[in-house]
Amino acid sequence: MNFRSMAIRLLFAIALWCVSGCSGRSSLLNNGLPSNNNGDSQNTGEALCRAGVTSAGSSPMRRLTRFEYNNTVRDLLGDTTEPARDFAPEEQALGFNNNASVLTVSPVLAEQYMTAAEGLAARAAQNLPALLPCDPSDQQGCGRRFIESFGKRAWRRPLQPDEVDRLYAVFNQARTTYDFSTGIQMAMQVMLQSPAFLYRVETGLLPEGGAAYARLTGWEMASRLSYMLWSSMPDDALLAAAEAGQLSTADQIAVQARRMLADPKARQAVANFHQQWLKLDKIDRLEKDATVFPSFQPELRPLLRAETATFIDFVIWDDRGDLQTLLSASYSFRNSALSQFYGEPGPSGDTFQRVELNPARRLGILTHAGILALTSKSNQTSPVQRGKFVREQLLCDQLPPPPPGVAATPPALDPTLTTRQRFAAHSQNPACAGCHQLMDPVGFGLENFDGVGKWRAEENGIAIDASGTVINSDVGAYSGPTDLAQKLATSDKVRACAVTQWFRFGYGRGETDDDRCSMRALKTQFAASGYNIRELLLALTQTDAFLYRKIEGSAP
Amino acid sequence: MSRRISRRSLLRGAGGIAIGLPFLEAMMGCSRSKGPSTSTSARAAMDTPKRLVLFFSPNGTVVNRWRPAGSETGFTLSDILAPLEPHQRDLLILDGMVNAPAGYGPGDDHERGIGCLWTGKELQPGPFQGGAGDPSGFADGISVDQEIANRIGGSSRFKSLEFGVQTNDSAGATVWDRMCYAGPNQPLPPTSNPYAAFDRIFGDMSADSGQLARRMAQRRSVLDAVTDDYSQLAQRLGASDRRKLEAHLTAIREVELRLAGSDSGRPPACQRPDLGVPIDHTLNDNFPAVGRLQMDLLAMAFACDLTRVASLQWSSSVSGTVHSWVGVNRDHHGLSHESDGNADAQEQLVRINRWYAEQLAYLIAKLKQIPEGQGTAFDNTVIVWSNELAKGNEHSHAPLPLVLAGSAGGVFRTGRFLTYDYAYHNDLLIALLNAFGINAATFGNPSWCRGPLPNLS
Repeated sequence: MNFRSMAIRLLFAIALWCVSGCSGRSSLLNNGLPSNNNGDSQNTGEALCRAGVTSAGSSPMRRLTRFEYNNTVRDLLGDTTEPARDFAPEEQALGFNNNASVLTVSPVLAEQYMTAAEGLAARAAQNLPALLPCDPSDQQGCGRRFIESFGKRAWRRPLQPDEVDRLYAVFNQARTTYDFSTGIQMAMQVMLQSPAFLYRVETGLLPEGGAAYARLTGWEMASRLSYMLWSSMPDDALLAAAEAGQLSTADQIAVQARRMLADPKARQAVANFHQQWLKLDKIDRLEKDATVFPSFQPELRPLLRAETATFIDFVIWDDRGDLQTLLSASYSFRNSALSQFYGEPGPSGDTFQRVELNPARRLGILTHAGILALTSKSNQTSPVQRGKFVREQLLCDQLPPPPPGVAATPPALDPTLTTRQRFAAHSQNPACAGCHQLMDPVGFGLENFDGVGKWRAEENGIAIDASGTVINSDVGAYSGPTDLAQKLATSDKVRACAVTQWFRFGYGRGETDDDRCSMRALKTQFAASGYNIRELLLALTQTDAFLYRKIEGSAP
Repeated sequence: MSRRISRRSLLRGAGGIAIGLPFLEAMMGCSRSKGPSTSTSARAAMDTPKRLVLFFSPNGTVVNRWRPAGSETGFTLSDILAPLEPHQRDLLILDGMVNAPAGYGPGDDHERGIGCLWTGKELQPGPFQGGAGDPSGFADGISVDQEIANRIGGSSRFKSLEFGVQTNDSAGATVWDRMCYAGPNQPLPPTSNPYAAFDRIFGDMSADSGQLARRMAQRRSVLDAVTDDYSQLAQRLGASDRRKLEAHLTAIREVELRLAGSDSGRPPACQRPDLGVPIDHTLNDNFPAVGRLQMDLLAMAFACDLTRVASLQWSSSVSGTVHSWVGVNRDHHGLSHESDGNADAQEQLVRINRWYAEQLAYLIAKLKQIPEGQGTAFDNTVIVWSNELAKGNEHSHAPLPLVLAGSAGGVFRTGRFLTYDYAYHNDLLIALLNAFGINAATFGNPSWCRGPLPNLS
């Protein structure tokens, strides 16, 4: 074998590696771990998805994220100081920061829990009459009543008598050593550092007849509901339902879920999902080369983020609420400064108002300048990053970075070529083409938007070619940005991906083989609702994965 | 009414300017027990602390511009290591080392590189989807600094301190961003906010000694009750949840131990650090300034004997830092993938790695300024500088760039350039344990251990 044929073989091997490395790793997971299954979860085990046959993946104990902690103490104590803001940040897995399997507690975080609890207790004790359910002239009696009533809300379940006794001992010791207020504060500090507050502890009801799955207690179900739909603790009505045994059946749970979805707190949870799914917090840290994009000022960052967040909130809660509208609506929300930046007609003043888009140019979130800017380089667009964003976030494909020895540099800027022409090397070099055929031809569809998301009909005097094709999907060929947006908006692969993302966020874990039937039910109900996100949230409360708990160590 | 008055007088006391020094003493515990046995001179005589610093920089190096030229004792530092020239006789430069466990198990090359670097053990499987390879979890074992901290950290206020500089906190950290572990699946996130680090390490200054003593007593009884909750609940849970709670319990116990506190005196070099005008510690261009602050805090924590084990993690593996202050305007990771033939890129990578050598030189000089016994704090310290990769464009784990600075109290014979023939880096980790009095024959995965790395002493 001569050198040349060896080299060709090697290149071919690299290309093959690349193609195989890029083609799969989509949705379904084995035991919480991504598999090489290409996303269709329904080819095996379908026969098992029958009424009366329970199947659900293991749900590890979840600890509160910083967002959940802040919301919880707000709802528990009316404390809006966001004490968790400076906690050690969560690690992130499968795209979300609430993945239970990777959230641990280091000594630094344990210490932060301690100082946060001290601050919360001290602030609450400044207004003892508001905090206490009783007259403190009977210090001991009132202390005990406080522990029971506050404990039930802080721990999201009634306290056992021995738990009350132990907390009372802390209270009473401090009361006699220091004073009543210190006793109350120290009991609160214990409660706010206990696993019953910081974690969502689930042991479930005793399973019947050695079954592998257990139903949850009403209290556990109340927390599952409230943290999924509100990113916070249950309210009094939900706790009352738990107490009355009215969270036992799927129908009862649906009644509560509907009530909760009508509460403004549901918006904060849904916003949290989208912020993470679409990486909107990256907009806050956008840096652009001022010589290339002089119109991009730092003051624009919060406006760009607000546009997308306001739009999503409106679509889901005040409009049709469906995935298609999210991805292809012909309107958005801007204020005067943002409209001027876009160079498109808009309202005057600082208030964000609905604007109608030019439907030949922009439709849906993919054409928002914030998302276009965060998927660009500082001095140019990046069809690779934009394609990767669509692949990973909207199609749930997993793409590796360039293999070792391959430079991850964009082709050099060239004033005689368009970006698309410069990136042509990717499709000509077999070592690159394997992966880049998945990304670049998706990103090309957004080439009408420059590196900060402003419209351009041509680049370097050459007309933009924004046609392309999304292979390995049902999207296929498209003719430009709005066509791409519309095709993604009605793609079954995108719809399935949205379900997967919501599963991971809603349940705080990756999907497993045991979740096949839950996943299938979600997809079916999502389709039946016209791909309505609110209905998907409701459906998430009705699956086996939500209603049951797999008993650890048991086989399905 | 009487309570109000006492509270006001307390506040007046705490607000006084002259209270600065007593704060510090209260923090060190002097005011609580100032017996003759804890006077500074007596303390220095009976206890010469040994110290460890792990120093991490990312994305590999440029090996042929890193490797010194010459013999074991007669060598010239390379372009990258040149800033360490003033400290050359304090260095041990190790060539030919391999991070062997990083070649196996789940995870991509960066994940395995950083996760195995100080643990010497393959990663756990888990949900982190890195660039390639099977998805990984966190590291599967304790890191060497923590093993050493478990042995020597008990006598200081903090068992260990983990410092970071822009370690990817806001974008969602993963196994790429963690190098220190208290045990399997127990990452210790570095503190990347120097102001938060300051508050934690040098905090408690806002209370007078009476207030402080009272707060400590309250904390102890609160944490006692909290640990009961964790122990009782853990018994009722399945194995994986139980492990998680037990790790949390260990973390609380560590806080408790710290509150119990050492009563050693305040060494003369111990000064409250001044962080200057606050800066945004998350901005790329503040990277050098943040690093400087963190090194100052680290050095002062040593000077005050608040800890004996520390680590400093510059960014993370796959770092996207733009080292604009050395004239590099591209992200580090992208640059590190450029081929050897791209001379311009190689020059920029040299500048980046050389800059990290300058930072190490700064830390060494800083520790040399702290008098201790007959010499300086540096004499009793060893700093270990390494990387998750050897070469970025090959994603290789050998020859791992490894520089030791300091002799750890005369254990290591410095001023030498040693070449090994693909020695396992686990053996260096074993040698480190031995240097701190831990009589270990293996560390991490025993398959990658042949015994303590020879020829270091």
